[in-house]
This record gives sequence, structure tokens and C-alpha cells, in this order.
Amino acid sequence: MSLALAPFANEPVLELRRATERAKLAVGLGELVLPVRVPVWIGSDRRSGDELVSTDPGRPERVVALAASATPEEAGAAVTAARAGFPSWDATPVEDRAAALLRAAAWMRERRASLAALAVRECAKPWAEADADVCEAIDFLEFYARGALELAAGAPLLQVAGERNELHYAPRGVCAVIAPWNFPFAIPTGMTAAALATGNTVVLKPAEQAPGCGLRVVEALRAGGVPAGAISLLPGEGDAGVALARHPDVATIAFTGSGPVGLELLRTAADVAPGARQLTRVIAEMGGKNCIIVDSDADLDEAIPAIVESAFGYAGQKCSAAARVLVHEALHDTLVQRLAGAVEGLQVGPADAFATDVPPVIEQAAQQRVQRYAAMAAEWGQLAVDAAQDVPAEGWYVAPIVATHLPADSPVLRDEIFGPLLTVEAVRDVDEACERVDELPVALTGGLFSRNPRTVRRVIARSPVGNLYVNRSTTGAMVGRQPFGGNRLSGTGTKAGGHDYLLHFVEPRVVTENTVRHGLVV
Amino acid sequence: MGATDFELEIQRVGQALADGLASKRGNPLKAIDDRAMELAAQDAELRAALFRFVDVVPACRSVDDLAAHLAGFLEHVHTPAPPLRAAMRMSDTKAGRVALGTAGAAGVRHMAHRFIVGEDPAAALPVLKRLWRQGIAASVDLLGEATVTAAEADRYAARCAGALDTLAAAYDEMREQPLLEADAIGPLPRANLSVKVSALTPLLRPEAPARGQRDAAPRLRELLRQAARLGAHLHIDMESLDSREAVLELVLDLLSEPEFVTGPSAGIVLQAYLRDSPQTLDTILDWARSIERRQPLVVRLVKGAYWDHEVVEARQHGWNVPVFERKADCDANFEELTTRLLEARPLVRVAIASHNLRSVAHAVARNRRLGGQDNDIEYQILRGLGDDLGHALVANGLRVRAYCPVGDLVAGMAYLVRRLLENTANESFLHEQATGVPLAQLLAAPGTEAS
Repeated sequence: MSLALAPFANEPVLELRRATERAKLAVGLGELVLPVRVPVWIGSDRRSGDELVSTDPGRPERVVALAASATPEEAGAAVTAARAGFPSWDATPVEDRAAALLRAAAWMRERRASLAALAVRECAKPWAEADADVCEAIDFLEFYARGALELAAGAPLLQVAGERNELHYAPRGVCAVIAPWNFPFAIPTGMTAAALATGNTVVLKPAEQAPGCGLRVVEALRAGGVPAGAISLLPGEGDAGVALARHPDVATIAFTGSGPVGLELLRTAADVAPGARQLTRVIAEMGGKNCIIVDSDADLDEAIPAIVESAFGYAGQKCSAAARVLVHEALHDTLVQRLAGAVEGLQVGPADAFATDVPPVIEQAAQQRVQRYAAMAAEWGQLAVDAAQDVPAEGWYVAPIVATHLPADSPVLRDEIFGPLLTVEAVRDVDEACERVDELPVALTGGLFSRNPRTVRRVIARSPVGNLYVNRSTTGAMVGRQPFGGNRLSGTGTKAGGHDYLLHFVEPRVVTENTVRHGLVV
Repeated sequence: MGATDFELEIQRVGQALADGLASKRGNPLKAIDDRAMELAAQDAELRAALFRFVDVVPACRSVDDLAAHLAGFLEHVHTPAPPLRAAMRMSDTKAGRVALGTAGAAGVRHMAHRFIVGEDPAAALPVLKRLWRQGIAASVDLLGEATVTAAEADRYAARCAGALDTLAAAYDEMREQPLLEADAIGPLPRANLSVKVSALTPLLRPEAPARGQRDAAPRLRELLRQAARLGAHLHIDMESLDSREAVLELVLDLLSEPEFVTGPSAGIVLQAYLRDSPQTLDTILDWARSIERRQPLVVRLVKGAYWDHEVVEARQHGWNVPVFERKADCDANFEELTTRLLEARPLVRVAIASHNLRSVAHAVARNRRLGGQDNDIEYQILRGLGDDLGHALVANGLRVRAYCPVGDLVAGMAYLVRRLLENTANESFLHEQATGVPLAQLLAAPGTEAS
């Protein structure tokens, strides 16, 4: 079967500046039936349960999903099922695998409003971001389907008389996908689609905070025609993930989440389990401590809204979010004053209100963590924004914080806080800013505001980050346009939504055939 | 009388206006006596370099810094003209940079003076008085940095209030200009201020228009009250499509409040480059029909100043481009909206703000065809770019208002950059006129070739 596809184009987000489009999303919310029941779904077996409860971060008494929590035995069973399903999915022509992903994309496209509504409820993603998350999931399906078709052609090799050389890419086997809650559709869909498109079978463990969204991802894939043996759903907590990582039959772990968990997965994978017949590859996307450099020639009229968006969009809970501003000393006071004024105007509120700028954080532990760092910032530095702003009493809300004058060794400047807390530091010049960025062990995203082309080139040359954004916000990477992923301890250097991402899910195999028979080339 | 007769009438009006132009200094681009503008109009890379320079001048800390930026931008011009190569070499030495930076800054200031009539309303009065004597009214627009905080919104509102006071007092002193002071509907205010909602609130959110509306409303309400007290006109500018819903609803809602039944005179903007501008006009006219106000809403019809922004934003998001992408389609829509607005009188007052001779001639002819008097339409021009057209309109007995930016030359740069970009773009009317496109072609109906 041949598959004629239009070139990849990003799924357009809703034009929410138009009232008619906003109304569509309200309909999606109205149609949402809660709680979503999420089974452990291995092959065609579904075990329901309610051990795992996901709730609305803005109204914790609202149960969004009731999920079964996978036991370590179930994790093992899921891997066994995936291993059993592998030969036939591997043997499925790449065109058919791609077509299944495209049908899954179509399934999501038909349900955009209701899927976005679920992300609003389960993860407190504000509407625009929830819609963008669903679009990105669709993008990954469309992008990797095309990428797998290209990859199937193999890679050209030097050919010499008397031999035929071929390189093709084979799937690695069972892939354990361990996904985060902050992009509850896009990231699990992306990692899963990359593995499936290239012929691997997948066990998907969604974040315990977002099993409802994880279920929809698997439903989309199954509805698209991915066979039961190729994709299983394993809702659960950390122990389910650990069981997957330790399993000797898991060939690849695709993980996006926190640094400590990612490092633990890398250690576990490096320890070859008894019975393992393959080294486990880990694709890990971890945290960052993302800095935005503001030079003295920056246009603050543009920089301040972009910084606010980068730091406080989705309450700072994106791996790409800005955490530190390094501003030229000549602009420091002006920037802090204007930034503080802008942040004071932000509206903290529920994700389902279009007017909300800062939604609640994901859970109580996150709220307490951010509050702990806020207290530290207040003790060792200064808060530019009154931390005692009114926030809704119920729900995991944190008022946005801007902290200045922190000592260089403060944990507030070093740890990934993953919440609405931004620090500002004065630097002598751009070079000092680059040095501070370089001191960090993580290197995910970075920002630069400068209108001098020479400065821009200099910072590009010195910047270790995976994604550098010049004169714009540091969030909102688009599939195919801004392949995304970090360097150093931020990750294994892979780029989701980029042309080389699929290579991490395959192993190249080279065949050389002697074409000489009895001295004749045949 | 058929369409052809009407076309002939448009040509006659256009010819008369063109005669008025020719009797002046002629070519509006030449009138901008900076040779850089001519060079820039011919070379897209150089234009980009110059505009990026103009944009950054306010943020540069020294002439050395200025020169470093200028040289950096010029590196992106692939085939620099000899004077530019010389400039780039100058940036290699400290003395050269000082000379280059000083010259660059002076050039930009010189240009800024053409567009910005004064650093504040009081400083602008000599120019405004001279315009009035020449038979040209003004609408003052206060330039400044973007509003990102509530304090900045308050400061802008206070500057607007101060400007209203200053303008009202100054215009009281001026002698009568009967053409500028009444139309068929009644008397027209002398003092006139244009305000931007994006400067009156930091909370304009495309997906939550009500939020910016709520925040801007108290500030705008105060300005409306003050304009009513002073008998001045308050015009609310339109910006990008992201804020259109907020601006339109805010203005129509406020003007519906009982206290504003008797005044002030107020206005709004309709952007003809938007494909759905006819529906926006429906909304405006439906509102005007439903409301009893003593002074009809002034609708300023413009092409629209955010074309690039709208196209880029739509392309980046995969949306349908909301603006006409063919100039002829935009021009045709401008004429259709002109006709609808003129037919809607006295529900609204009509202001035609265009430098396109054809669009202006069409409005004049259409108005006459509909039995209107010449002074029923206000023709608006941009100070610094449409001056010659303004004088030609005056010479033809038409009522003219110049849109006059006021503010710090430095803070006004961003404004300048956009205006200059639009008007040196290849398709712009001023550019075509300056580069010698024949008058018959300039006056041809949109989408047709002049025979």
C-alpha cells in the first residue's frame, strides 16, 4: 500500500480571539462526563479499579478520573503482552502503521473540544494551552507517521562492484513510555507515536495525576487501528514505572519528567537485568533552570510580556518555562518595576475561565514546594510582588512571585521549582549572563532579548541550551518548527518533533551481500 | 447615469486633487528629505537594516553603542552601496563610531521631527495653530511606551486628560474656520484627541476581551466625561484584530451609558483591510440605530496599519488570514464601506482616512452623487506623510484633519517604524506615486487597468 500524504502542517489552534471559537470549548466542557474510569488495559484485558484518584487542581473535591493502579505483576504482564505483540506489529508494513497513527490523529481532531476540556479539568490547563496540547498531540501523530515512512527508505551507503550494501532501521522491541502530567496529551502521544510508527510496541504509563488523559491517548490509538498487542495502558504510581524500567524485556524507556526520576531510570537501565538480551536505551527529557538574558538594548515593551508569558503561563509548570531573568544592570531597576507591575495584574483563577492568567498548580505537594521556595526567597532576597495577593482559598493556587537580590548560592537560583516563581538578577553585561548560564548543570531552554545582531550571534555561540529563543517567549515549541529537548542534565539530547527523533527508537542494521559468483558479478 | 459616468466623475475629482498636489512640492517621498528613505524604498535589506536601527536608537546608551548597532545591521545588507561600505569601515575605530553614531542619531531625530509635532501637547501647539490657520484640523495622538502595568495605564490616562485640557484651551483661542466647525448635522468640536485602549489597560487578552474592557472602562469613562465638559472630541483608535472585540464593545457600551447621551462627540475606527469589516460595520450601525445620542458616532474608515502583524500571526497559527492579501480587494472594500457609511448618515459621521488618491476621489464623488455636501466628510491624513494631499484637499474646499503624533522623539520611534514601513512598501500608494506611476493608473478602479 502506498500512502500519499500532504506535507506536514501544524494543527491550527483555535482562534480564541473570536467569540464563536470560545463557545466551541464551552460546549466541550458541557459534554464532559466525569469521572473518567481508567482501567489497567493490557491487550484486550481491562481491569477497572479506583485505587488512583485524579482530581481537579482548582477544585480538589471534584474527581476527574478513577483509575486502577497497576501492580508490579501487571507491569510485567503488560511487557509480556507487548513482547508477544511485537513480531506482528514489526511485520506490519510501515504504510499501515502510519495510516493507523493518522486515523488516531483524526479521532483526536474530531474530539478536540472534549479532549481540551478534560485537560482543563484534570491538569488545570487553561483553555488556550489545553487546546494547544491537543493540537500538539495531533501534530506528533502526523509528524512521526511521515517520519517513519521516510525512515523506511533506510540510509544510502557507498556501493562498490561485487557487493550490495544496505542499511535499514529496525524497531528495538518493547518501549516503556513514562509520561508527565504537564502536557497530558502531547507528550504521551508524542513518545508513544514515535515508538509505534517505527514498529515498536508500547506500554504507556501516564502520570498518576493524569490517567484520564492517558486513557484517551490509548483510545485514540486503538480506534485508529493500532492492535491491542501493540499498545497497553498502565495507569499507576511510581512503582509501576520502576517495574517497567527493571523489566529485562523492555528495550527502550522513553521518559519525560523530573530530573531525579530520570536519573534513577538511567541507573536502573544501565544495570543489565538477569535474563536481559538487550541494553536498555533511555530517552529522557528532564528539567531545566531556564534563563532569559535581557541586554541593555532590549525593547522592554516586548520583553516584559514575553517574560511574563514564559514564567507564569500554566503557572510555570512547563519544562521550558523561564525561571531566571539575567538583566543588564542599566535596565535592572526599570525591568523589575515594570515586571512587578505586570505580574501584579495577573489573574489567578480556575483553568476554565478564559480570563485566567495563572491557574492552580497540579497538587498540594507542588503548592507547598513553591511556597517553601517563596519563603526562602523572601528571607534571603526581596520579593518584588506582594506575595500575599488574594488567591482562591480552595484549590492548589499560588500567587505569582518575582524575587530579586538573592545570594548567588541560593537554592532558589539553582533548583527547578516548577511553579510561578521568577527571579531577577542584575549582570554587568551579556558575557556575565552567559557565564551564569554556563555554570548551571542543566541546559533546556534559554531566552535572549537584544537588538544587536552581533550580541545575538555571540550568545548563540556560547549558549549550551537545547532551545534558545531570541526576542520572544521561551515556551510554545511547535512540532516540526522548534524540535524540543535539552542538553547536559536536562536530557539525553533528543529532540521531540524533530527529524532525527525517530532514530532513537530504532537500531540500524546493515546487510552486505556478496554479488560475485565464480568470478562473475551477478 | 451609468457606472462609467460615475467613474469619470471620480477621475475628474482625482485630477483636481492631483493638480493640487502638483502645485506643491510634488513627490511626497522626495519631501522626506532624507535620502535614506529613497534608498530604502528600493532595497528591502537596506530598509530592514534602517528600520531595525530606528527601532533601537532609543535604547542605545552612547553614540558608540549606536554605531555598533548600525554597523551590525548593515552587515545584513548583501550588496551595500558605496556610502554604506564606508559607514561600515568607520565602525572599526572609536572615532569612526562616534562620527557614525552621531550622524545616525541625528538622521533619526531629523526624520522623527517630520512625524512628531512636539514632545508634549503644549510643545505641539505652534504646529497645531499653523495647521488650523491653513484650514486643517488635527487629532492628537500621544505616543509612549507600551502599557504593561496599571500605573502605566493611569499615567497614559493622565497624559490624555492633560492633553484634552491643553488642546481645548488652545483651540478656544483660535479664530473661526467655518469649514472645520460644522457639517450638515451640526457643529463640530475643535479639540480632538485620539486614544488607544491598549494604553488604557495592561489587561487586553484576545481570548478574554471582557477583562481588558472592564479594566479600561473607568479610565476611558473619565476621559469621555472630560471631553464632554470641554466640548472636545474623543476618538478611540483601533489596533490589531486581537483587541478588536474588546475595543468595539468597550466603546459602544460606554457610549450607551445614560450620562453620555448628550456628549461628547466620539469616534471609532473601521479597518477596511479586514475581510469581515462589513460585518463590523453592521454591528456599528445596528448599535447606532438602537441608541439615542445627540452627537452621532464618527466612523473613521482606514485601510489598517497592522497588515504584516495580522498576516504573520495568522500564518504562524494556521488561521485564515483575516486581511485582504490583494491590495485591489482591500481598495474595493474601502470603496464599498465608504458608500455604506455615507448612506448611513446621519446615523454616523464619516471620516475618510487614506492617502490613496483613488479612495479619496471616490469618497468625494460618491458623496456628491448621494446629494451630500462636500463638508459632510472629514478627510484625514497623517502628518509628515500626507501633508501634500492635505493641502490639495484644502485647496479643493474639502474638510481636512491631520493625525498628529505627540510625544518624546525617542519613545515615538516604534510608531515611526511602522508608519515608514507601510508607506515605503512596494504596493503603497505613496510609493507608487513617488516612483512615477501614471495618474490614470493611480485613479483606476480597484482591480482594473487604466486604458
